[in-house]
Amino acid sequence: MHPKPHRGTIFLEDAEVLMQERFPGEQYVLRMRAPQCAASALPGSFIHVTCDATLPMRRPMSIMRVSNKDGWVECLYKVVGEGSRMLASRQRGDIVSSLGPIGQPFVLHPERPRLLLIGGGVGIPPMIFLADVLRHDARVQWNPLVLMGSEVPFPFKTRPSTILLPGMPDGVIGCMPLMEDWNIPSRLASQQDFPGCYSGFVTDLARHWLQPLDKNALAEVEVFACGPTPMLKAVAYLAQKLGVPSQVSLEEFMACAVGGCAGCTVEVRTENGPAMKRVCVDGPVFDGASVFPLS
Amino acid sequence: MTEHTLPDSLKTTFCGLEFSSPLVLLSGCAGFGEEYTRVAGFSNRDVGAVCLKGTTLKARLGNKPHRIFETPAGMLNAIGLQNPGVDHVVKHILPALDFSETRFIANVSGSTLEEYVEVTRRFDDSPIDAIEINISCPNVREGGVAFGNSPEMSARVVAACRKVTQKPLITKLSPNQTDIAENARRCLEAGSDAFAAINTLTGMAIDVETRKPVIGNMQGGLSGPAIKPMALLKVLQVYQVARSHQVPIIGQGGITTARDALEFLVAGASAVGVGTALFYDPLVCRKINAGIADFLARQRIQRVGDLVGTLDTDTLPLTLCAAG
Repeated sequence: MHPKPHRGTIFLEDAEVLMQERFPGEQYVLRMRAPQCAASALPGSFIHVTCDATLPMRRPMSIMRVSNKDGWVECLYKVVGEGSRMLASRQRGDIVSSLGPIGQPFVLHPERPRLLLIGGGVGIPPMIFLADVLRHDARVQWNPLVLMGSEVPFPFKTRPSTILLPGMPDGVIGCMPLMEDWNIPSRLASQQDFPGCYSGFVTDLARHWLQPLDKNALAEVEVFACGPTPMLKAVAYLAQKLGVPSQVSLEEFMACAVGGCAGCTVEVRTENGPAMKRVCVDGPVFDGASVFPLS
Repeated sequence: MTEHTLPDSLKTTFCGLEFSSPLVLLSGCAGFGEEYTRVAGFSNRDVGAVCLKGTTLKARLGNKPHRIFETPAGMLNAIGLQNPGVDHVVKHILPALDFSETRFIANVSGSTLEEYVEVTRRFDDSPIDAIEINISCPNVREGGVAFGNSPEMSARVVAACRKVTQKPLITKLSPNQTDIAENARRCLEAGSDAFAAINTLTGMAIDVETRKPVIGNMQGGLSGPAIKPMALLKVLQVYQVARSHQVPIIGQGGITTARDALEFLVAGASAVGVGTALFYDPLVCRKINAGIADFLARQRIQRVGDLVGTLDTDTLPLTLCAAG
């Protein structure tokens, strides 16, 4: 019989809500006890959760942070519909069914240690997870920069950065304190004129940092992104124009989330022509140029 | 119940195949048989059979997104028969399946009569346990439901496939037709060994902000608890045609609990399909098995087969089941 390494890798857990914190813009940070998921989740992994027994489908949510020691996973989501609204009413002590971790994670390449992490809106969580993993990785001296964009107030209190960052436009000094605590530079972008933030798209801020880099520097860069589709497309295009690889994390309406229904597919360019790949188990992380080819 | 030992009361036979449980994972919900085993605690041994994803002669990319959308007590889907083609399935997917765990049923789809026949022929020359003819897929332009809504065309497809295989042939019937019983009768005469009833009901959803259909294919197939009452009646109507010929039915449509499954068994289904319910609870089959076994024990029924078609219709008007 053929080996079946995929078997038993996704866990169904009755996850107790440990914390649910509300932020402006109907954003919520949800922490729940799911020790099996926490033990094997990687940056890019997501969970598929029940929002309410009256809804027939689960909702996919990317993982922001995990604590293997304490057995919890943490997600950031925004209320966008009925499911997320119902999830937002869950309180400490309530039980949510969590299916996870699911999906192909971001892949790190030690020959490219200069990492540009771009998170937009509720695409911010996997970037935080990735940054957390990078700072604990003793094998390689990673050199990440985290850029985040949001059109609602950021789900954390921003503050001026103490980490100098060449290439940033004047006045763009706002950062995410957690990244600062981790000694990882971060900068913020928004079209809402938030203080200290770049006024514009986060991808334009990324261009400010990438464009001055010479060939040798670019050869060490890889871009990782999660966010709305137009943002991911802009990221993939920018990376391709500069000859830099990118990995993008996608989302799509999802039913089974284990590869069984092919409901969440995305068209991907392959050596053998176009293919429909499942966002759940073939992704959610894909090569940016395959999903958004320049030509 | 130990992990992979189901009670004897759940054992049943379907078209001569031994099923460890009357539960069947439905085509299009469980990929090509291995996908759900990703979930810890899930086992193909918990079901009598797994119907594989609809398969065509050549690979198909399927429909553009969005392919699925949640609706009240259900969901719409329009996958569009994405599959790698029958040769790939036979050469690369079937050899990797563990046939000691459950029975595997191929689901044959096509755009032409010839395609149905050719795909059936290729599955006939494979270890697959049975073949389901999908003449009811609502999400492709040609074939599928276009054949399934015409009793004449349905019978022609069944007769043609019958000629090229000795394996059990299951016809998956569409609910999107005037008289499912007449269609079943014609398919039965054409050589169908069994029926699967029902496939999804056609439906759609509109995004009023953009005024566009939510589903990329515009229309999709509705599944889930919302369709259960309709499915149950259709199963009864098919059963009234099939019973005297001892042709069994896989009853399906919104089954979520043991009680749902029991209703279909009583209505005349010999096996019961689980699909959309898996999406909410990947381990639901264990619960349904346990619930059926408890019911049988409580009612002192030795075998699940003894429950099939036991609907008490004595008090009902005779015209009920003839209604379209």
